[in-house]
Amino acid sequence: MKIKLIVLIIFSFIYTEAISQKYITKTGKIEIFSQTPLFTIDGVNKKVASILNAANGDIVASTLVRSFRFEEALVEEHFNENYLEPNKFPKSIFKGKIVNFSDVDINKNGTYDITIAGKLTIHGVTHDISEPGKLIVKDGNITGTTSFNVSLQDYKVKIEKAYKKAIKDAILLKIHFNYKLYKKS
Amino acid sequence: MKTIYLIIIGFLLTISFSLQLKSQDDLMDILDTEVEEEPVVVLATFKSTRIINGHSIERMVKRQLDFRINHRFGKLNEGGYALYGLDNALINFSFEYGINDWLMVGLRRGTNKKVYDLSTKFSIFRQTKGIKVMPVAISYYVDWSFKTLRGLDDLPDIRNAKWNEITPRFAYTHQLLIARKFNEKLSLQLSPSYVHRNLVKKGDKNDIFALGFGGRYKFIRRVAFTWEVFYTDHVTKDNVYEYPIALGFDIETGGHVFQVFFTNSRAMVEDGFLGETTSSWLDGGIYFGFNMSRVFAVGLGRHKE
Repeated sequence: MKIKLIVLIIFSFIYTEAISQKYITKTGKIEIFSQTPLFTIDGVNKKVASILNAANGDIVASTLVRSFRFEEALVEEHFNENYLEPNKFPKSIFKGKIVNFSDVDINKNGTYDITIAGKLTIHGVTHDISEPGKLIVKDGNITGTTSFNVSLQDYKVKIEKAYKKAIKDAILLKIHFNYKLYKKS
Repeated sequence: MKTIYLIIIGFLLTISFSLQLKSQDDLMDILDTEVEEEPVVVLATFKSTRIINGHSIERMVKRQLDFRINHRFGKLNEGGYALYGLDNALINFSFEYGINDWLMVGLRRGTNKKVYDLSTKFSIFRQTKGIKVMPVAISYYVDWSFKTLRGLDDLPDIRNAKWNEITPRFAYTHQLLIARKFNEKLSLQLSPSYVHRNLVKKGDKNDIFALGFGGRYKFIRRVAFTWEVFYTDHVTKDNVYEYPIALGFDIETGGHVFQVFFTNSRAMVEDGFLGETTSSWLDGGIYFGFNMSRVFAVGLGRHKE
């Protein structure tokens, strides 16, 4: 009896692996925004790559920090040269999962409230995050969105004393991933 | 017996948990192979479009306007009466605009000889690393200048001069700018230059060939030491001309770049400082100067396109 159960568990692993469908995007978007009366930071990165494993709700995402573009070229230069230092830490990555993925039916059109949890690495520093988001299923395509604040201090992005008033510690990230079914090439 | 089963199940659950963790790494591996690697363009070789007097390889990128006011005071050896040159300030102001990421155009007006000039600078190669390596960045700079000072070289006043009496006031500069950012601190530039002046004083050459050696060393965040020396082929023992030499600092603030420096050149336009530098560092013929640059974004949504 117990042996049968174990065999069942093992087979269920193999089965999960076999049916696991993956969704991918290479043009995901992250917008960063922060405003003080002195200074506005308004940047966008449209080259974010991410995979969603539809078998278990695992999500990974990765982007080159230097793919962020800003309204003002000088802000872009400061972002790269003085703050995020992509020469030392070229990538920002996320590894995690949709916690309540059992609530989502990817075969049925609809908008699902989700919670995303995992490890976010920015500027070489990794923190556990857990944030609400939405998953929109439409005709086989999946769109994932979330927005949340990150603290510059948490990720050891150093703001000089003179600019503390101009740059807030909390930076808003708005994330928009447009997944398509992944076909191995 | 039961405990053994429990242990086995517990063991399997542990494996399944670690498998799941591993599978996120597997996903990351897939992602890494799916995303094509792009060459990494080396940014900010210099903080400004100028090293000190001369242009650097940097340009204004698309829809960025640089409003720049360059000041040049008098000579230090004018002594205390002229407050070491501070009484005699000249200014140049200029607008430089990025038509796109590789092409910049500029308009400038300078006090010295009341000069106007039009310029353009474009990028030929950018320094890249990663899957495609380009060891240096190369830009080309062209300038046309027009000195409008009345009485210049006994030329007639431009208000009632014929065209062939105006053209002698023109000068042209071509520069090939070759730079490499060696690391976050050190950038070096070579600037082979050619200047043609339509009219020169008797005994002077119309054409000057020059080779510039410039660089910066960023010794702390936001502050760099800069230097610039031009070898010019019209300098001889018998004439009054000197090689232009400048030393300074680049200081960045939020939206500005300040450049403060000492130089032996009075003029700020290329044909001026390459061809008309007559002061010498050795006898205190040094001018204090600073460049102030403020960059504006013209129009919205450059980054959202």
